[in-house]
Amino acid sequence: MLVLVATRLLLPAGASDGLGDAVHDVITLSVSVIIESLPFVILGIVISVLVQIWLPEGFLLRRLPRSPVLRRLCVSVLGILLPVCECGNVPLTRGLIAGGLTVADSMTFLFAAPIVNPITIVTTYQAFGWNDGILATRILGGLAIANLVGWIYSRHPAPDTLLTSGFQAVCRRGPGHSHGSRVHRSLGMFSRESSSMMPALFVGAAVAGIIQVAVSRDVLIALGSNPLWSVLALMALAFVVAICSNVDAFFILSFGSTFLPGGIVAFLLFGPMIDVKMLALLRTTFTARTLVQLTALIAVCAAAIGLAVNLVA
Amino acid sequence: MSLSLLIARWRGLALSLLGVLATVLLALSGQLGFYIHPRYTVFTIVMAAIAAVLIVGAFAVGTDEEDDDDHEEHEDHEGHEGHASQAARRRRPGALFGAAGSVLVVVVAAVALFAVPPTPLTSSALQQRDLNGSAGQHGSLAPAAALGDDTSGYTVKDWAALIRQGTAPDDLAGRSATLTGFVTPDTDDPENVFFVARFVVTCCAVDAQPVGVAVYLPHWADTLSVDDWVTAEGTFEPNPSVLSLSSVALDAVTVTPIDEPSEPYVY
Repeated sequence: MLVLVATRLLLPAGASDGLGDAVHDVITLSVSVIIESLPFVILGIVISVLVQIWLPEGFLLRRLPRSPVLRRLCVSVLGILLPVCECGNVPLTRGLIAGGLTVADSMTFLFAAPIVNPITIVTTYQAFGWNDGILATRILGGLAIANLVGWIYSRHPAPDTLLTSGFQAVCRRGPGHSHGSRVHRSLGMFSRESSSMMPALFVGAAVAGIIQVAVSRDVLIALGSNPLWSVLALMALAFVVAICSNVDAFFILSFGSTFLPGGIVAFLLFGPMIDVKMLALLRTTFTARTLVQLTALIAVCAAAIGLAVNLVA
Repeated sequence: MSLSLLIARWRGLALSLLGVLATVLLALSGQLGFYIHPRYTVFTIVMAAIAAVLIVGAFAVGTDEEDDDDHEEHEDHEGHEGHASQAARRRRPGALFGAAGSVLVVVVAAVALFAVPPTPLTSSALQQRDLNGSAGQHGSLAPAAALGDDTSGYTVKDWAALIRQGTAPDDLAGRSATLTGFVTPDTDDPENVFFVARFVVTCCAVDAQPVGVAVYLPHWADTLSVDDWVTAEGTFEPNPSVLSLSSVALDAVTVTPIDEPSEPYVY
């Protein structure tokens, strides 16, 4: 590393100009995603370790209602307590599954938490106030989609097969597998979880950087004022931009009044659940087949809610 | 321990360490602002410090857990000795492939984070992002830009917002302004008009949106090149260019080339 920094400092100024602006921008954008997301992923891993090793066993699970529907409702509003946006929720969800929560219930948490987290609610309120019901539709729509996903996957005959084999092995091992002090086990778990999450984050950031430079936003934005296309275009924008749910409301607001409210709602619902960086992170845990199903299901739901808002408004 | 197992064990800590070191170096050199909004600076540095403690701790205790840790993958290792099941043997190419991929990710990350000098977005990113497509209001908390008496503190973002909101050219005419930004041509009249542009960032460089104010200066390309950082001083007038879509432009300007500012984005 020192060698790399030294190389950079010793090379004459302008030696990297040959890379071209596009390559520079890809690197700047990818590094930006990494620097921005890394603290959240680490926070998510830390909370996941706390929940699995430092809370008494079953602390969370014991307190949840028995009825599956009520339990998922409870799980879906858990995110209000956790100011972690979507990247941090992936390690936390892994912890919940490893700790014994069903795959379906954990999905409910995963998709609801970034939308009901307190920072997201506050920033969405600051951006839109009560205008066009955007805030209410975002929260209620997010909870509805997350609970629907949970309900559908709770009917899956073999939920373990939704998970990657690597993560199934992690679950079989369980949090209490190893001897040693809690500090030891926590550090071991931090190390293992970062081995799963960090490569995904770095690859996801690189893909996000490349797509940003390769795909022109103009087309997507130009479609933003059409009742039908605004919904689909803004969902595509959400997928490409891969922006954190804590600030996505400000981002979309900055485009001014060119977009219809339904498109904005679809952007705010779809983005926190599915985008290019999230897919890379989720791939550590779920099979590709599961992710394709989830993406399709959530896209259809978000589009339906967005179109409904455009019809009403 | 096999090499692929070793890599699988340490790749997470290695990548975390790269990320943390890059964050700290950027913070020390004051270049964190090339990548994230200043409101995240403190949070990012605090989490980097916490991560640094965890990484050092995990490196220190890491080897203790080796035996019971990855017994699944351990079979791979025994497969190498010729004792293990066929299943284990079948996993080996996958493990090798994964290990090679991990090494590649670590190497590329190290080069991108440390060997390439940190740079803000270049103006070629404008091609993907509509200039002034988003120059409208930035949060309902921020008061809508209004034309006050004292406009001396107005940035490119403020003037661009005023112009985009449809402030009458007559109201703007005759007002003087000093604008700092980088040069990018007006695609409708590249010969006579260029924009002094900045990127507006809400979270990180990924969401950067360009804003710009038109400057009327025939044959500007003789003295300036695209991407140059400049300070332009002049007065607003109805745009003399017939081709440009900007109704107002800074006219009668003195353009002074400057070094790229340490805070290249506006917020």
